[in-house]
Amino acid sequence: MHLFRTARALAAGTAVIAYCAGVAAPAVAAETIRIASPFPTTTLDPLRSAAAGNIETYGQLYARLLQRNPQSGNLEPGLAESWDVSADGLTYTFHLREAKFSDGSPLTATDVAFSLERIRTDKQSAYPAPLSAVNSVTATDPKTVTFKLKFTFSPFLGNLEIWNMGIVSKVDVEKQGAEKAFSGVPLTSGPYVVKEWMPNEKLVLLPNEHYWRKGYPKSDATVELLEIASPETRIAMLKAGDIDVVRGVQWAQIDELKTGENIDMRLEPSTTIYVTLLNNKREPFSNLQARQAAAHAVDNKAMTKAVTNGYAEPANTTLPGAVDFHDKENPGIAPDPAKAKQLLAESGMQGREVKILATGGAAEQQLALLLQAQWQAIGLKPTIVNVDSGAWWDATGKGDYDAAATWWYNETPDPDLAVRWALCGTCGSNSFNTFYNNAKVDKLVEQGTKETDPVKRAAIYKEIQEITTEEVSQIPLYYAPNAVAYAKRLTGIKLTPTMQWTLEDMVIAK
Amino acid sequence: MTLLPLISRRLLQLPGVLAGICVVTFMLLHLAPGDPARLLAGDRASAETIAAIRHQNGLDQPLWQQFITYVANLLAGDIGQSLRFQRPVSALIHQFMWPTLFLTGYVVLLAVPPTIMLAIASARRPGGVADQIIRVLGIAGLTIPVFWLAIMMSRFFGAGLGWFPVSGYGQGFFGHLHHLFLPALSTSIWLVPVLTQSLRAALIEKTTADFVTTARAQGAGEGEIFWRTILPNAVLPTLNLLGVMVAFLIGGTIIVETVYAVPGLGALMIGSLLGRDYYVVQGLTLTFALATVIITLVVDLLTAFIDPRVRL
Repeated sequence: MHLFRTARALAAGTAVIAYCAGVAAPAVAAETIRIASPFPTTTLDPLRSAAAGNIETYGQLYARLLQRNPQSGNLEPGLAESWDVSADGLTYTFHLREAKFSDGSPLTATDVAFSLERIRTDKQSAYPAPLSAVNSVTATDPKTVTFKLKFTFSPFLGNLEIWNMGIVSKVDVEKQGAEKAFSGVPLTSGPYVVKEWMPNEKLVLLPNEHYWRKGYPKSDATVELLEIASPETRIAMLKAGDIDVVRGVQWAQIDELKTGENIDMRLEPSTTIYVTLLNNKREPFSNLQARQAAAHAVDNKAMTKAVTNGYAEPANTTLPGAVDFHDKENPGIAPDPAKAKQLLAESGMQGREVKILATGGAAEQQLALLLQAQWQAIGLKPTIVNVDSGAWWDATGKGDYDAAATWWYNETPDPDLAVRWALCGTCGSNSFNTFYNNAKVDKLVEQGTKETDPVKRAAIYKEIQEITTEEVSQIPLYYAPNAVAYAKRLTGIKLTPTMQWTLEDMVIAK
Repeated sequence: MTLLPLISRRLLQLPGVLAGICVVTFMLLHLAPGDPARLLAGDRASAETIAAIRHQNGLDQPLWQQFITYVANLLAGDIGQSLRFQRPVSALIHQFMWPTLFLTGYVVLLAVPPTIMLAIASARRPGGVADQIIRVLGIAGLTIPVFWLAIMMSRFFGAGLGWFPVSGYGQGFFGHLHHLFLPALSTSIWLVPVLTQSLRAALIEKTTADFVTTARAQGAGEGEIFWRTILPNAVLPTLNLLGVMVAFLIGGTIIVETVYAVPGLGALMIGSLLGRDYYVVQGLTLTFALATVIITLVVDLLTAFIDPRVRL
């Protein structure tokens, strides 16, 4: 009897311990990983914005038809299990897999057609360009989506992977209206759901248990995307252990972080290119020789070293070094002050005032100062005008400036969208507000879009780079990697060249 | 009840102040270059897209028409909606208000006791050793830029020694106290010298006042004279100054909030200004104006409480 009681007490005790362990285990596992970025999340609707910050968020919330392998960067099936392309290359048929939204409701072809038609045709869609070759998207049956193209378009599959191609719920958006559906806790199809969005502060994400990829996200950690404007604060937070990942590490901070014990300071490949925009709309830089003079006056190797401590690679053409068909052989524009002076004399633009626009970033400020010094040396009269980014976009959009050092990146490895954004005068961007306009280049851009033979495409983009670098549509400065610092216990996470966090592959070491 | 005229005078000022603030911020914001639609939609949005977004939000209407719409909504009690976040401005202000108010209160608590002690120590023997040391320290505290001090303290006490968190607001009352200690301290180091100088000057001035001589002639002890005669008289200008400073802090903690990543009104103001989120900025300025009026009223009431002459 006595023994029996002891055994029962033991069993009960074991049960209690087991119960506690069972409760405690998820509590331990449910860690919070905090990622700090200078770029704010301003909307959760993939239609409304193409601004940095939102781009990073969409990828966590909305699954796309295709995705990129986090290691190789190659395209692989996403929501679409497989696809067929018609012989003429004008019809793409996608076969969807079983998938659900975060509330457990089924994700069907109707949702895909709705989401992508919304991006393509809504007047307020921030970035419909990736779907510009599409004529229609239709749900042929609940599991099949058919795209009809206007012309053969080889970047098409890659474009379906871009961050605003995420699938949202038709039922929910139509029921609540887009404004309501996205301003709080939206239905998601990607690896994460929104736990809480505190605009201007943070976005709190939880793993989406209905995500189609079973076993993903690999970690059940809560993820917080924090907006921290000051670079010093981000680094102090990382060192103090307040955060685990820091985006936008300043060049001057890298060496210090490399020696950090628990910090993994990485320079990750990106398609970011820093350039100096020259305003072709007014003198002096409407003059070709003046632009060439400005370019030869600039020693971009020395500038790259000075500004980035040698962590970036000097740019040789007007296209990002990491996009397909970037011409590595192009010699670029050699620094040659004597030639610069001579070209400036021939242009008749000596002594002209040059208004250099600069925003508050450390790199932008340094670049503006270096440009000013080098242009002064060849006989221009540069002045620096400091503005915030709102005023910067206003002034460059109107052509009320002469020069501005800035950066852009390409959201996919294919150069089609890149040349349309930065070098094409008739594609709606005014060659990234430079108002550079060369009919030959515009024609080549169209050819590059429609050409399907990679060898011919390479030749087309080589020629575009030759012409625009020679005519200095912009002065190429450098190709900047993404400087990101991680806590060492995190593996599997990175920021891809297309500015997406591979959060679903993240593993936390115990 | 003689306080009534005081309160009603302040309340009568309120509509005028708010109307003035409203017109000025509206004009300044809308005339400044920069387009909320562009900043929201991003670099690559086309001109047509931007135009559609502007139209949707009524930004393409003439300025006077937008102003009338805004004022009409305001009178109906609606201070508008954030252009970026599509949430009511009032909800945003409510969300960000508490860290700032907590921080302001914390600063006052940290700043007032040392101010009184330092001012008394200085005023006891003007020009003495204590006075000189306090003055030099005060000048140092005043001249060190708040942002630099804040960065250094977060590096040293936060990242280096690990005593305090370097960011955020924390959970619960003690979490807030812990998280906001460094921000409050950085602000106090600048605030204490300002208040000390004011109180010290008033104390010295009052020691030679006629009523002090009278008290002394009537045989009051020095301690009694100081605590019951000099201090209450000297504290009034500093109280007014503190009121101005508190009003300033509620709208002006931008620097410490940025350095310590405190999700307060200053952080919201910066984000909204950079994003040209018009109605949020306007809502914030109105809130700051309202706070200033309320604090001035509180200071007036306190003054009346301390100094009976005001009530006459």
